[in-house]
Amino acid sequence: MKVVVALKRVIDYNVKIRVKTDGTGVETANVKMSMNPFDEIALEEAVRLKEAGIVSEVIAVTLGTQACQDVLRTALAVGADRVVLIETDVELQPLAVATCLKAFVQKEQPRLVLLGKQAIDDDANQTGQMLAALLGWAQATNAFKLEIAGDHATVTREIDGGLETLEASLPVIVTADLRLNTPRYATLPNIMKAKKKTIESLLPADLGVDPSPRLKTLLVSDPPVRKPGIVVNSVTELVEKLRNEARVI
Amino acid sequence: MSAYRAPLKEMRFLVHELVGLKRLAELPQWAEITPDLLDQILDEAARFAEGVLSPLNAIGDRIGSIRSDDGSVTTPPGFKEAYQQFVEAGWNSIATPQEFEGQGLPRAIGTPVSEMWHGSNVAFTLCPLLTQGAIEAIHIAGSEALKQQYLPRMVSGEWAGTMNLTEPQAGSDLAALRTKAIPNGDHYLLHGQKIYITYGEQDFTSNIIHLVLARTPGAPAGIKGISLFLVPKFLVNEDGSLGARNDVHCVSLENKLGIHASPTCVMAYGDQGGAMGYLVGEENRGLEYMFIMMNAARFSVGMEGVGLAEAAYQHALKYARERVQGTPTGTDSHQRSSILGHPDVRRMLLTMRAHVEAGRAMAYQGSLYLDLAAHHPDASVRADYQTRVDVFIPVIKAWNTEMAVNMASLGIQVHGGMGYIEETGAAQFLRDARITSIYEGTTGIQCNDLIGRKVMRDQGRAMFALLAELEQELSAHLSAAHELEGSQIEASLKACDASSLKLFSELKVILNAAMVAVHTLKRATEWVVATSVDRSRHPEIFAGAWPYLKLTGNVLGGVMMAKAAQHSAQHLSAKEGDIDFFEAKIRTAHFFAFHVLSENEGLLATLTQGGQSIIDFPPNAF
Amino acid sequence: MTTLVIAEHSNLTLRASTLNTIAAALQLGEPVSVLVAGYGADMAAQEASLVVGVHQVLHADAPHYAEQLAEEMAVLIQKLATDFTTLIAPATVFGRNLLPRVAALLDIAPITDILAIESNDTFVRPIYAGNALAKVQTLETKKVLSVRPTSFEATAAQGGNASVVKIEACAAVRLSQFKSRDLASSDRPELAGARVVISGGRGLQSGENFQMLEALADKLGAAIGASRAAVDAGYVPNDYQVGQTGKIVAPELYIAVGISGAVQHLAGMKDSKVIVAINKDPDAPIFQVADYGLVADLFQAIPELTAAL
Ligand SMILES: Cc1cc2nc3c(=O)[nH]c(=O)nc-3n(C[C@H](O)[C@H](O)[C@H](O)COP(=O)(O)OP(=O)(O)OC[C@H]3O[C@@H](n4cnc5c(N)ncnc54)[C@H](O)[C@@H]3O)c2cc1C
Repeated sequence: MKVVVALKRVIDYNVKIRVKTDGTGVETANVKMSMNPFDEIALEEAVRLKEAGIVSEVIAVTLGTQACQDVLRTALAVGADRVVLIETDVELQPLAVATCLKAFVQKEQPRLVLLGKQAIDDDANQTGQMLAALLGWAQATNAFKLEIAGDHATVTREIDGGLETLEASLPVIVTADLRLNTPRYATLPNIMKAKKKTIESLLPADLGVDPSPRLKTLLVSDPPVRKPGIVVNSVTELVEKLRNEARVI
Repeated sequence: MSAYRAPLKEMRFLVHELVGLKRLAELPQWAEITPDLLDQILDEAARFAEGVLSPLNAIGDRIGSIRSDDGSVTTPPGFKEAYQQFVEAGWNSIATPQEFEGQGLPRAIGTPVSEMWHGSNVAFTLCPLLTQGAIEAIHIAGSEALKQQYLPRMVSGEWAGTMNLTEPQAGSDLAALRTKAIPNGDHYLLHGQKIYITYGEQDFTSNIIHLVLARTPGAPAGIKGISLFLVPKFLVNEDGSLGARNDVHCVSLENKLGIHASPTCVMAYGDQGGAMGYLVGEENRGLEYMFIMMNAARFSVGMEGVGLAEAAYQHALKYARERVQGTPTGTDSHQRSSILGHPDVRRMLLTMRAHVEAGRAMAYQGSLYLDLAAHHPDASVRADYQTRVDVFIPVIKAWNTEMAVNMASLGIQVHGGMGYIEETGAAQFLRDARITSIYEGTTGIQCNDLIGRKVMRDQGRAMFALLAELEQELSAHLSAAHELEGSQIEASLKACDASSLKLFSELKVILNAAMVAVHTLKRATEWVVATSVDRSRHPEIFAGAWPYLKLTGNVLGGVMMAKAAQHSAQHLSAKEGDIDFFEAKIRTAHFFAFHVLSENEGLLATLTQGGQSIIDFPPNAF
Repeated sequence: MTTLVIAEHSNLTLRASTLNTIAAALQLGEPVSVLVAGYGADMAAQEASLVVGVHQVLHADAPHYAEQLAEEMAVLIQKLATDFTTLIAPATVFGRNLLPRVAALLDIAPITDILAIESNDTFVRPIYAGNALAKVQTLETKKVLSVRPTSFEATAAQGGNASVVKIEACAAVRLSQFKSRDLASSDRPELAGARVVISGGRGLQSGENFQMLEALADKLGAAIGASRAAVDAGYVPNDYQVGQTGKIVAPELYIAVGISGAVQHLAGMKDSKVIVAINKDPDAPIFQVADYGLVADLFQAIPELTAAL
């Protein structure tokens, strides 16, 4: 059984982002880029399934420019068998990504697709669900635990205030939450070996997809700065402020 | 707490551009190493250093390694697991030869990687580092049988290695060594005590392979009578399984200033009849083998200095950004600012930054020379680079480690009172750094090496050749800088951008300062060579060995800084790459010129005039 | 031009997020319908009809809606969507799971996690974990949106009078089955990831007094932390420590109780969204970082606060 893992290249989570002064977005030039942390977890899960003998081939796919090859190299070093770049330089939005992935999945015929629950750049939290809809597959988002037995997947999901367990027949889409596993570090020998493997390449057009954006970002700005604090005179006033001004309770 | 971040941008700039990975392509075995492969290795190493090693650094300091009554040693919580991960990820074998399943990567790549280990957790790193040294020694001098029996499992990290040189009466002077090795069939029985043995006992690995310097009966006195032995903690059976416990034991751990996680052991050999040891190479050639490895070992300790100084700088900078105190002079408002607003705090931080960048650049340059000297297909090219290596090594070792101690101290100063409080973590860098200028040959020994063996012995030939080359490079850069400035004047006039023009005129100042520095070192070297003709004045020369080494480090570092500025200006004029990074490079080089290179005239005076005052103060005058 | 709000509910009652979502929907200025799809969800549908501003409630009831699985719900909403120009759900785990699935079925690019509505087609949403805000305009024929509940003040739950229209369920797709749900009621969230953190310091004077904080934490679903001073004094175990050498937290709400605010402590919590400090010393440094400071004796203030919530 094959598994496809979709990966996104994002600004490294340690980088303190800077909003561009012209408001067109966030500065990405000369900024450290990495694999989206939730996607790392998805990839790790796929590799573990392979090590457990449940999966025979792990295919990692990403969409974007040539620069995205680095996350695919990392995927190879972590244990992906094949890696594919769907190459495009348009601004990618989740629906376009899901549409490309749908065509890719139909071509590769995996029984399981793993993705991160969201990318830490746009925080959209959409692609997995949309891919499931387009394929007409079952979806299990925010996975905390994944078990595959025969043709069945049992997924425990993180939901508000606790956990929920679902069961589905394959094929299924699973999106990884933080606690699904702890991703391994790529090993040096595997980095060296990965160097010798090829990165397959496709164009959206090869998949019959037009990835043009359908939403327009008008402005990206800094969040409002922290106001100087105030002193409240009573518990009642504190509760009132927390409720109606700060809106945190 | 002290979250270390690998300075990847800086490392990439150095390896890709300034030191030039291209040179490695001349070496057939590394022809396939591409920039993107290098980037990936650096990225993954950074993840490991930041994610696994750095979080353990403070714990290691606080808890330290502990010896139990049965002689076993327990490393701090998490260290054993980290070692396992380190080995599984294959980092321990980055440099070991491919014939033993190592990755065989060049030092030019291993160096930034090791800097990350040192910066994030130097006490941990000593174990794989010493194992690497032991592997090299066995590889260089061991018999085929020894290699086959021990190397595969040392390379894989299943076993670790140690280096046992020091004895109570024999530190800098190994000629005073007393440990005995008595032939006994196919092996020897060792008796004696070794002190300060790093990771002499630990709980990382199932076996520990000690390399021990000892004397055989009837061996010549002094350094010509020392042999090298391999003494495993557990004897190894024919089939590779572990046999009896050997008669070598950790009898105590030192209680020490820093690197608390690294167990520093007193090792007793042969208390119960003799420790079984196997001769490595030939009798009486032990020190010779050690010398072959010594350049690499000293280089590594120099990198410990760079890594620690970088970590101390990051730590201090982070604090300075957050600490609010006082109103900087010249500001009208009464608004308090972060201490970064105070020029003196920025002076301290720039001092740290500039020294780290210079020390790193000089060391990375040295790493390339080490690769070329060891692996260039052409023997005469190898020999040329070996002379370069010989000059660079004592400087990389001593300048960087003394620098690290001073910078870590400055890092505490940036913190104010909080720096003195252990919880902040600033003090650990100073305590950890303090050992680096002592082991693998103290600064004093490095200074003697540079001025005595590397300069006086060949009447300065190697040094003069190096200086001539630097002079040539700098003049080429200077004329390029003139042209750059010319083209920029026009561009800036059009764009009314005076501030960028300033950077280009600063570039010339920087290059000129580096040129002056080269001339100062030339004068210093001329004085050494001329004075050395009179043997009676040798003590006076050696009295100036430290100012001479410091001057050499300032110059080698200063030239690298100037070259970095030159490259940066080129990028800026082409408007390509990371503008902030390149502007900061030029400014840091400018700082280095006026705050460090400006010491050089004083160092020259100390060298030429100051030795006498030491000689005039004989031991009995104290 | 009408808006459909997808209600989040437990069959018996509406979840609070639904009221915030209705409020957001009302801002769009179109008539608002609410979909209550569930099993035995009459009570929830009834409740929805009382919410101020709701025009009508669509109530679909079938066993396969009992757990509101995305696969089942999406098909139903896709069918209903022809009658609406805007579909809107709360950006909770429920809405995040469902809404993109609906959007993809409709071939519409959704906008999720909206913080503010700028105009009929333009919305503000956080990116990079809230470190930047993006103003996004949709070019689609229909709008499929999810809104962050805490950004929209809830509409009044009582006072409306909408009609409840029973609608037909779609055939079950049965792509996935619900097995179980395990809601941790008493277990506190983990310190590092908690939405609310309450930390105690030396001011609590003993380990027993931390129970006071526990009562408050239960009300707020908060995790409990401590300053180093409290840990060193043995009031609570090591893993409670927030600060430079302890855990670094950045919850939405951080309440520092009886903590003076040494720099080391501040380093561990200063990125919290809202900081409350309760201390009887008005000069305690903690007040310098607090959004809301209350100078009071914590032994009075904490029980009072707990009771007021
Ligand atoms: C934490 C730690 C770990 C160590 N790890 C190891 C290890 O793993 N294996 C091992 O074998 N050793 C190890 N050592 C020993 C270390 O290499 C020696 O301490 C070092 O070489 C200095 O020797 P010494 O301590 O005897 O000092 P000494 O040689 O007594 O030196 C004292 C002072 O005299 C100066 N001096 C001595 N001779 C000269 C000279 N000819 N010219 C000018 N100045 C001179 C020195 O610079 C120094 O300032 C370790 C030491 C420490 C503290």
